[in-house]
Amino acid sequence: MSKHRVSRRQFLSYTLTGVGGFMAAGMLMPMVRFAVDPVLKASEGGDYVATKQKVDDLTEEPKRVDFTIKQVDAWYESEETQTAWVYKDDKGEIVALSPVCKHLGCAVAWNTDKSNPNHFFCPCHYGLYTKDGANVPGTPPLAGLDVYEHTTKDGILYLGAVKPHKGA
Amino acid sequence: MKWTPNEVDMFLQAKEYVDTALIPLVPVNFAENIKQSASMKDFTEILTLEIERQFKGRIMLLPQLAYLSSWDEPKRLELAADWARGLKEQGFAHVFYITSDSEWRVNEQGLEGSLIWIPSIPLEHLEEKHKRPMIDDQVRQVLAIFTRKWHD
Repeated sequence: MSKHRVSRRQFLSYTLTGVGGFMAAGMLMPMVRFAVDPVLKASEGGDYVATKQKVDDLTEEPKRVDFTIKQVDAWYESEETQTAWVYKDDKGEIVALSPVCKHLGCAVAWNTDKSNPNHFFCPCHYGLYTKDGANVPGTPPLAGLDVYEHTTKDGILYLGAVKPHKGA
Repeated sequence: MKWTPNEVDMFLQAKEYVDTALIPLVPVNFAENIKQSASMKDFTEILTLEIERQFKGRIMLLPQLAYLSSWDEPKRLELAADWARGLKEQGFAHVFYITSDSEWRVNEQGLEGSLIWIPSIPLEHLEEKHKRPMIDDQVRQVLAIFTRKWHD
């Protein structure tokens, strides 16, 4: 027998505090989790998708880079292939442009129109964009090509969300 | 544009820019070629969706037009012609059919629109990573047919 004998009253109050504490925690934890949820979500915001493109292989010539994202719509979960036109500008910075024409959403391609070399060309209604993605006035598109956010990790190009063209 | 409510809205706003209709022709056959028939449907669907993605602003991709392989030629031509006529009345300057069914090539002149015939690749036997380049390759050839027609 130890010197400190625990009385029945003490024992009950300890156990009750303990159990009650657990119960209170069980109730409060989800509430706290819900309260901070928006904060946790925000950190997931900038999702980047790996491409197969090595950053060192990029040149000043825009190159077609395909990458796949998981897309969930109401019925199907599918892998959708997306494309970006990627090059390094004269400062050596990577530029990744969306291929979606700002006119009606066709796919533009680099240097495919013989009469307008070194432009992005839309085959549908002959929209033109300069190398930096700005729309050429007088052609149907009214805004420049969207720009992908990008980052590099281990020498591989990662692409993120699309942002409107700066000049727009 | 696809035949979905959202894209039809877009079509109504940009009607003057969408001058090309694309009709996939898909045979249905329950006899000995049932598997091939299903494979054609799959292939045509993937191919047309990819064409639509490239040329969204100028092509209206219509729902697949299915028919029984047992239909005789006049009946088939009539089906195709009805659609082409209806679409031309709606203001489509170019009407394209796309199919893997070689039967259509027999009487290509009898059609009101242009026929694109592509032999179907049994995609179900391909590995995932090989499918994409394969389809891309086919799509590139078909895109050239469209641009040539538009330039005429």
